[in-house]
Amino acid sequence: MSITIETAKEHAMDHAVSCCRFEAGTIIEPSNLEDPAIFFDLEESGLLKFDENTLTIGEVLGAKLIKTAEALTPLTADMFEGLNLQTEAVKEEVKEEIVGTPTAATETVAPASMTTSLNGGMLKIHIGEGKNINLEIPMFAAQGSVAAAAPTAKIVEVQETAATTETEIKELPAKKLRTLTKKHYKIENVVFGDETKIEGTTLTLRKDIAPEAVESQELVTAMTVEIITPAEYDTYSETIMDVQPIATKEDDNFLGTGNTRVIDGVIVMVTGVDEDGVQIGEFGSSEGILSENIMWDRPGAPDKGDIFIKTTVTIKAGTNMERPGPLAAHTASDFITQEIRNVLKKMDESLVVETEELVQFRRPGKKKVVIIKEIMGQGAMHDNIILPTEPAGIMGGKPNVDLGNLPIVLSPLEVLDGGVHALTCIGPASKECTRHYYREPLVIEAMNDPEIDLCAVIFIGSPQVNSEKFYVSERLGMTVEALDVEGAIVTTEGFGNNHIDFASHIEQIGMRGMKVVGMSFSAVQGALVVGNKYMELMVDNNKSEEGIENEVLSCNTLCKEDALRALGMLKSAMGGSEVKGPERKWNPNVKETNLEAVETHMGSNIDRVLNETSIPMSEKRESKLKTK
Amino acid sequence: MKYGDRLIKMQGIIVHISDGGVAMDLKGRLGHLTVPMRMLITDYDLKVGQEVEFNMSFPEVMSGEVNQKYVSNIEKNKRGGK
Repeated sequence: MSITIETAKEHAMDHAVSCCRFEAGTIIEPSNLEDPAIFFDLEESGLLKFDENTLTIGEVLGAKLIKTAEALTPLTADMFEGLNLQTEAVKEEVKEEIVGTPTAATETVAPASMTTSLNGGMLKIHIGEGKNINLEIPMFAAQGSVAAAAPTAKIVEVQETAATTETEIKELPAKKLRTLTKKHYKIENVVFGDETKIEGTTLTLRKDIAPEAVESQELVTAMTVEIITPAEYDTYSETIMDVQPIATKEDDNFLGTGNTRVIDGVIVMVTGVDEDGVQIGEFGSSEGILSENIMWDRPGAPDKGDIFIKTTVTIKAGTNMERPGPLAAHTASDFITQEIRNVLKKMDESLVVETEELVQFRRPGKKKVVIIKEIMGQGAMHDNIILPTEPAGIMGGKPNVDLGNLPIVLSPLEVLDGGVHALTCIGPASKECTRHYYREPLVIEAMNDPEIDLCAVIFIGSPQVNSEKFYVSERLGMTVEALDVEGAIVTTEGFGNNHIDFASHIEQIGMRGMKVVGMSFSAVQGALVVGNKYMELMVDNNKSEEGIENEVLSCNTLCKEDALRALGMLKSAMGGSEVKGPERKWNPNVKETNLEAVETHMGSNIDRVLNETSIPMSEKRESKLKTK
Repeated sequence: MKYGDRLIKMQGIIVHISDGGVAMDLKGRLGHLTVPMRMLITDYDLKVGQEVEFNMSFPEVMSGEVNQKYVSNIEKNKRGGK
């Protein structure tokens, strides 16, 4: 299979292999070369073997074979005359890891084109036949024609101009758009009592609250509320549906601005079954001992030491798979949270242990970036309530499925103020719980990064049918085009058909000439089902040892370290750096290398999060790993 | 897995659709499969009676041991979650 001129350009640094038998005297063109995309398979099956003498595609193009080459022969210097060997020195540089070096614009220079590009612009040389011809052209003239002829060289020029402009307008002050103040109240004990109240650091929950919560929802037939302290982490629980912060707005403050009161040390955990005992959203069980099923301290998970107010909601038989079922379970649980919110509103200011001010800046003159978060929108538990009245609440919000899954712009502060209530899909390890959005690390890091101008966070649902996926994806493309950003980061949770729209979102943005980084759990089990040429800047959220959905809550979700990698990658790409091609198989070391590159650039260490090996192993996980 | 790469083309019929997932019978009386919406790829609005196809291999039993945790979960489910 021969390759095209475009492929040859893209793979100028890859090994050159003849695709068929060619006689001595052939001048090598792209059509004489094998596609590097299939080298891995050929190498694995032993049909192909490279050594240090194998030339690259850039080196052999235009050279003349002096020996007959059989099909699938790695081409070496002794087979040619007229080789393009001057690329040698720069070859290494291009293959360097680029993450974390946003200014390394020189890496885009593709020297391979230099000898062939002299015929662009003014200077045209055509030699029909000849031997030992030496051409000497003054360097300034050559440089001129190279810049005109080689698009890559042109890009470097533009980047340099852009960099100069940036230094000139760097003085522009950051523009403060809005602030959000989070007042933290510490709770150390949760008990049942006659009325819901907070005294000091003790939260008392009305003991007869559950029946009222049940009554509030037609589909809910029963509910139990448990208080789980750290001493009870080793107890059995139904599948964890969601983890939510307890927070409320002060007075008439709108979500994303003004004051929010939040309880530290306690979270609400939603679990549920239907009357037949089937878990809500049941697709195989992941229930079990809490401490074996939770990856502590993830953005979306409980922190170790948190007290859980755990609801177990029973919904009508057979409704566990229909849209109203999971929503009813969440709404009934929120009935309890709302009662706590109401007492939190009345609490004395003197009990605030920490005041945190979050500021949304726009940074004129910096590279404009947008974050796109793809959320589930296939229905039932694959749904999210957007912009409820209360942080992480339900009331006042709209399900993204009802909003047609179309792109919706939220301010970073609306996200961090609980603007998304996740009904959370299947796949405990990779789903983003409600608490995840409240502490979304990518939004936090991007908002606080002085090197970029984060303009918005766009949420886009993932519908079921492909035509709907492309419908929303095209709207995303138009939205991003209108925003006129230089870079975008697209994230998605979990894996499955949402990877089809994930790929399409990246394509829609990439085809408009913007740099785009994709973030997803992929590794082994979540490998992407589709791809396109714009999916070159990818960050894998996997943390599990085996690269699988390990049934440990939040294990493979987006963490700070992933956010920093993605931002480093995006900034490098916007600065003009190239990215290395992917390895054929999942290799966790790529992540570590990139993290080290980011650390070098930042000049500080990034704490690596733990994975499932840090928690007691459940028997089922043990047996899963045993077979690997 | 010993036989993981022996892919066999399977066909099936969608027999039940809920908001959360899709159930399908495998043609040739070869079994039944239920998957979450997220794991099914479609160009068309879903309807009962539509045919599906996919490649799969044979499920292989991983070891002779049973996993007590799963056994207890299964028994609990049989008792209606009690």
